[in-house]
Amino acid sequence: MQPAAVYTRDRCVTGIHGLDEILRGGIPYGSTVLAAGTCGSGKTTLGMEFLVRGALAGEACAHFTATEPSVKLLENIRQYAFFDMNMVDSGLINVFDMDVLYSWLGLEKASFELDDVHALIKAIVDIVNTIGVTRLVIDSVTTLCYKIKSEQLIRDFLFTLGKKLATLGCTTILISEITSATENAHWSSFGVEEAIADGIIVMGDVERMGHLLRFLQVVKMRGTAHSRAKHAIELTPLGVMLTPMLKWGAQSDKTSRWGS
Amino acid sequence: MARKFDFDPEDEEFFSMVGSFGVPKFDNEMHGGIPRGFTLIAFTDTGSGSELFAKQFTSPAEESENTLYVSTNEGQAEIVRIFQKYSWPMDINVRTIGEEYNSTVLERELLASRYRLEGFQLADIQRLAQTRFVDETNQDYLTEVTNEIMALGPYFRAVVDSLDFFLQREDPARVVAMVRMLQAHAQLHRGLLLISVSTNGLDPVIKQELSSIADMVLSFKVRTIGTDFETSMIVSKFRNAPENLKILVFRVTPEEGITPETVERIA
Repeated sequence: MQPAAVYTRDRCVTGIHGLDEILRGGIPYGSTVLAAGTCGSGKTTLGMEFLVRGALAGEACAHFTATEPSVKLLENIRQYAFFDMNMVDSGLINVFDMDVLYSWLGLEKASFELDDVHALIKAIVDIVNTIGVTRLVIDSVTTLCYKIKSEQLIRDFLFTLGKKLATLGCTTILISEITSATENAHWSSFGVEEAIADGIIVMGDVERMGHLLRFLQVVKMRGTAHSRAKHAIELTPLGVMLTPMLKWGAQSDKTSRWGS
Repeated sequence: MARKFDFDPEDEEFFSMVGSFGVPKFDNEMHGGIPRGFTLIAFTDTGSGSELFAKQFTSPAEESENTLYVSTNEGQAEIVRIFQKYSWPMDINVRTIGEEYNSTVLERELLASRYRLEGFQLADIQRLAQTRFVDETNQDYLTEVTNEIMALGPYFRAVVDSLDFFLQREDPARVVAMVRMLQAHAQLHRGLLLISVSTNGLDPVIKQELSSIADMVLSFKVRTIGTDFETSMIVSKFRNAPENLKILVFRVTPEEGITPETVERIA
């Protein structure tokens, strides 16, 4: 009897050093991944490098910024050698200010109702569909969800958005701000994001011998096996670099041999 | 100590102590006109002719560059048509807030509705991706109008028709504060200021506050008598001259605009 062929989902290769090894080749296409982290843990840089690596491969990318103006975001990110402003100028990476989008949609209000949430989903999906975006980052979904007062509405928003983006084959990173990434912490501010997301990447700080080290841990990723170990993050001029914090941390062939 | 303003003696002679209503028969009934420095609040009924009166009030335009007509309901074209019809001076300053509001705020709201309903086109998305800042079109018309009137010099003449626009969009306390400031400005600079406000839905507290600020309170009324309408102007407050309290029934003629017919003294 012939063994059944093993089905593996196509991957969106993040291009981030070490992350694809952790994920056994990348994020399954069309997934919505929650990148939850404390302040200064490298969420924005990770999100932007995810887009840059996609743009370098010729993919159309979009970034929605809600936490800082795009002008400031681009000024901060352009100091990294991996980032090239031409990608923005040529339209490979499309950066949208959420404030501007709100203004265009008449959503300059303190809280969103059902109609407003649907308008926002429609706008994001329209953009993804029209320009064929395959990589999307929303930075941050926490800021956006603060305007949605009902937990049920937040759930509907994230579920509907994730479903529609998956249908369009768009791999999405939703950046989430959390106050603690250590034990007993929630991976999202509202509690519903983590349940709806296909994957959860947690980022935070850990103290080692008087030094504050950044770490990244993949807690959940539907559709692929992955390491659940903590990895140290270095934000280098060349991009994010992940290295195992423990010798048995990474599960790629190469590192597992090294750790075994 | 109260602020003092030195007036040019020539100006004092030219402008005299009273200014015209723009309706000579009203001036006669009020013993010459309105004392300079007065703020008039006109409470108006719909169809009572108050809009025409507001325009006619600017018609004496002693100094056209120091005369301002602020309309919140009508457009420039309509105002020009009326001024031409009655041969009133056309070189006064006119600000049409309603028209400005329509072309900025309402147009933007219409566009937002279109985006929400029909979605974005590629050109819209390209423009959105290149737009880095929110277009701040939320103008503070209340502050703008206040500043514009405060910038008028001695013996100015100004009309705000009507206050409803501001009361519907701003905190009424802020609107009342603006009227208080303008009243002080008119008094100090011997200006003549007419502010109209519709009685429909007006909060009695606001009405009371406006009445107490005003030097002169007018009420424009309309009622039906048989198959006819009768329009009247009631002068219910005239600071320091209660003998001027009157009910003036008027009609509108093509030659003179508002023309009083009968006068009844309020006992």
